[in-house]
Amino acid sequence: MEAQRSETEVRLEVNRCIRTISTSRDAVEVVASLRTLAGYLPDGPHARASASEREEFDRAHYTMVLKVLVGGLHADWRQRLTSAEHTELWGAFFLQGPPDQALLVIMDCIGTIGQSSGQDKMVDILELYLQNGRVGALLWSRCQGPGSPDSPQLRETLLGRMVSLPDLMANRLYPHNRPLFLSAQYYSLLAQEFKFALDKTCKALKDGQDCSLRFVAQLLGKTCVQGHSEHLFKDLVPHLSASTRSDMVWQRVCWRLMEDIPDRWMESVVTGLVQVVTGPAALARILGNLVVKNKKSQFVLTHKLLLLQYKYETCVLRTLLGYLAQDRERRPLLIQVLRALCQAWSSSSSVRHTPVEQQLYLSRALLLCVSLLSEAELQELRAELMQCMLGGMQCHLDSNVVRIRRIGMVVGECLSSRLNTQEARLKFEYEQDEETKELVSMMDPFPPEDAVLTDRLDTLQISHCSKDKEMGSPEEPVTLTSHLESQGPPADKGSDSELDSDDELTPYDMSDDREMTKSAPPRYIRDCLEGLIFSEDPTRVELSLQAAEGLVRKNPSAAREVSVELTKVLLHLEDKYSTPSFLALRQAAMVALAVVDSIPVAEYLTTEFYSVNYSLRQRMDILEVLALSAQELSKPIAEQGRPSLPPSAAVTLVDPQSVPSNWRQVVEQRIQSKTRRFGKSGAPAPVTATPNRYASVAGFFFFPLLQSYDRPQVTFDLLGSDHLVLGRLVHTLGLLMHLAVNAPVATQMGRSLLDFVWAIRYHTDQVVRQGVLFSVCAVFLSMPGQCLLAELSDHLLETRAWLAAHFPTDHF
Amino acid sequence: MARPPPTPLFVLRGSGAPINTLHFSCQEPSSALLFSGSGKGAIHVWNLHTRRAERVLEGHGGSSIVWVNTIGSKETLISQARDKRLCTWNLSEGRSDVTQSIFTGSVGFCQGSVMEMHPQRWLLAYPAEDMEELVELPSGVPVCSLKPDAKLGMLMCVKLWQPDGGCGPMLLAGYEDGSLALWDVAQRQILSRLTTHPEPLLCLDFDPVGLRGVSGSAERAVSSWVLDGQQNLQLRDTVELVNPGISQLRLRMDRRILASAGWDHRIRLFSWKKLKPLAVLQYHTDTALCVTFSDHKDSRLGLMAAGSKDQRISIWSVYNDS
Repeated sequence: MEAQRSETEVRLEVNRCIRTISTSRDAVEVVASLRTLAGYLPDGPHARASASEREEFDRAHYTMVLKVLVGGLHADWRQRLTSAEHTELWGAFFLQGPPDQALLVIMDCIGTIGQSSGQDKMVDILELYLQNGRVGALLWSRCQGPGSPDSPQLRETLLGRMVSLPDLMANRLYPHNRPLFLSAQYYSLLAQEFKFALDKTCKALKDGQDCSLRFVAQLLGKTCVQGHSEHLFKDLVPHLSASTRSDMVWQRVCWRLMEDIPDRWMESVVTGLVQVVTGPAALARILGNLVVKNKKSQFVLTHKLLLLQYKYETCVLRTLLGYLAQDRERRPLLIQVLRALCQAWSSSSSVRHTPVEQQLYLSRALLLCVSLLSEAELQELRAELMQCMLGGMQCHLDSNVVRIRRIGMVVGECLSSRLNTQEARLKFEYEQDEETKELVSMMDPFPPEDAVLTDRLDTLQISHCSKDKEMGSPEEPVTLTSHLESQGPPADKGSDSELDSDDELTPYDMSDDREMTKSAPPRYIRDCLEGLIFSEDPTRVELSLQAAEGLVRKNPSAAREVSVELTKVLLHLEDKYSTPSFLALRQAAMVALAVVDSIPVAEYLTTEFYSVNYSLRQRMDILEVLALSAQELSKPIAEQGRPSLPPSAAVTLVDPQSVPSNWRQVVEQRIQSKTRRFGKSGAPAPVTATPNRYASVAGFFFFPLLQSYDRPQVTFDLLGSDHLVLGRLVHTLGLLMHLAVNAPVATQMGRSLLDFVWAIRYHTDQVVRQGVLFSVCAVFLSMPGQCLLAELSDHLLETRAWLAAHFPTDHF
Repeated sequence: MARPPPTPLFVLRGSGAPINTLHFSCQEPSSALLFSGSGKGAIHVWNLHTRRAERVLEGHGGSSIVWVNTIGSKETLISQARDKRLCTWNLSEGRSDVTQSIFTGSVGFCQGSVMEMHPQRWLLAYPAEDMEELVELPSGVPVCSLKPDAKLGMLMCVKLWQPDGGCGPMLLAGYEDGSLALWDVAQRQILSRLTTHPEPLLCLDFDPVGLRGVSGSAERAVSSWVLDGQQNLQLRDTVELVNPGISQLRLRMDRRILASAGWDHRIRLFSWKKLKPLAVLQYHTDTALCVTFSDHKDSRLGLMAAGSKDQRISIWSVYNDS
């Protein structure tokens, strides 16, 4: 009865005031009405309403009043108010009533009215609203009680407004946006308000009050899903991590918060959190056993972050896997993750179809996982890990990409050393670089002090932050530089004084100081051949090999007599004595032979390429020699004759004695050398036409290689498992095609090459596909334009379609 | 264009055996002498004016001479040979008598080292079976024997030196395992050890003023090391040679030039300050076994001698202009 009465009273009074404010032009009257209304506000000089009256006012009339106030933005009476009165009677309404309704009204108002002084006014109010911590009050008001009764629609609107405030404001206010509404600032403010609300919640729980975190969780989720998790968590997470360390209530609040996040937003929250949090312990304190309870988060944490995405830093992986490993309930998930990683790592299709970066990421995760296993678990999983290691290494080593092979080796080594503590371990020879070192470092156990340290950091950060606010901390950079300066100079003292006296002693010519050899190098090509065939003496073989290229080039006619035989010997030569730079010397000699006596040597090499009983290495050598010799042949002859002489030496031979006889010439030269002409990039070197030696023999290099690629042999299956050679073959063919530009035979070559690559354009190996692309480019670049349409009209359309369909998606 | 490398000043032939060791005695320029020890047990005394062998001393029963040195003047000679004996000779007034003979027991190639402690008293270090022995000369009183605790292998080379500041004499010793040890003779203990080479250490020389030394081995590198204030040996830099194997390293008395005798028949010269290669001297046709600098008082007359397995001694005059 009492309530009924007060309700009516309040309604009558408020309605009267509203009517006065909206219709009256008398400022005194309006101010009186405003004062009356202000009486319903919770605090302030005019507060006089009882609790039940105020409640009724908040529930039914507050929004109405605010709307009227907003509607009176341009009314005359507003001009008459002093600024103090204005704050007191107008602004106070927005800052003291229920914060959710106020926010909605303010935002609506800014959204609807255009740029004007009224809008400025509202923006000011919004700024004040944010600065006065009304958002925190809003959150806290939603935390209280067993759960807010309001409609889902209202809640959604409120969430939307709160989360996208920076966007809304930017849209409305551009270009006069306020710094507070920029996303970085706004979300860190939001983080502060989160802290405030959660703090209050904790205190309330300790006092035995019921709280609900649903709204806060929803706000968190929505903010994260809109991509602002970074700004939000940057401030929030260190605080959470520090607070949860000692306070059990805080931990429970955090867990509850995480559990209350709706499933559709779970992923973005968890992902954002994992990236920001430092160390597995902190993550465990914040998340609790969420990963066990919530299917969505389990999927994200154990599957998506590890197997589907690969952009995260190693420390994120460490945090995540460490989190899984920490608790008994979560431990089965670690095993499950390990199984999934093993499967992914050892699947040949994933090795072939995923980028190297993802392989690397997977390998990191796998090694981290293995390093986290206990001995008992290791014994249990031994067979599976062994299977994974063997299968995975096979498909990694099978790959054409050096990085993937190396990853395979490193992971294999690490796994085997973890599995067999006593027995033989795998050991590969690979070049150490940053990547391999990082991979190996994954096996290092987690630093035990890590958790403590990061926590200490957290608290430090927090205290530091608060200090920063107080004094702005300008001293840090200064101390840093002074530290640097004090360390700088004493690096090397007294080296100057030593320099002078050393200069007095001028060195003698030391060019004669060469390696001593026991026997003399062969003088004739046949001696060289004999040395390579019969000699058991390492030095003689080495000398013969070193001399071979020079001898071939010096006396081409003699070389032609034995060219094929010498090629055969070189092709079969093994590095029995581990001669230094054996491969390079052998290759140089074979290239020289192929250049000097092109047709027979090319015929021999191309037939041998498809014959039985060669190793992959030898077949690749053949291709390399063909490519290099074709390259050399296609260069203009002028450069020939002194192929090994460095250009500087060639210059000094001519220059010093050639004194120009005529003084005019000298003057001319000087003027020329000192004149700079704009718009003219130096005189172009005179081009002298020289016959292309490759043009006439290109066919001998090219066509035999295309003859029998589809006839698999016992030891060599080009279209099957030996895709390594196939990739090289396609590249070589492309190169031979490219070098044959302007040759008469280019048209036929291009046609055959396109036919050939057409069959393998969807090969599974990316190196082969790269080669195909290269070959196609070479064909289009090298074939004469007029023939292109006439000869290849049927191919052209198909190729174009293939390129268009294939190029954007394939990761070459 | 760099100058062509110098040729020998003159060559001493006729020893009839590989030259294992050389020692100058040029205190009086009028009668400058060069002692050489051959692989057949003969010690030749060469007159550097007539360029002939003045005398030939045979006292080790035909076994290879490892080391010759003089103490005090050119009248007293020490020779060490592979008959496990070390002899002191009196050569004054045309005599050639063995005055003292010490049994060393060492069959290795390690050369001894001698240092003047007080006027007319010398300290001699020589290799014994698996230790270094120190003896005072001319009295022949044993001072001590230094035996390493750890197993370092055979002794390969030694160098005695007297540090400034009144400490007792120090001894640098190179061992078969490629390590180098600094012994304090007074305390009979190793002060510092440093592994300078993976192969046995074959030769070393040390600059007591700059506290810097070099060592050579069967490999391509010459290592240089320093002795810091705490008597610790520290590796500095290495110089890569073209061919492996160094028989001997010698520092000239003015501490400017370092010479190396290489297995590749060549004598190499380096500036001592930075170990900058200065010259490669090619004359010998077989392994160079030893190289030494003369002790001329006038540095302009300074000579360098190199002995080789090809039985010749080449005499050079290098970097004497300033």
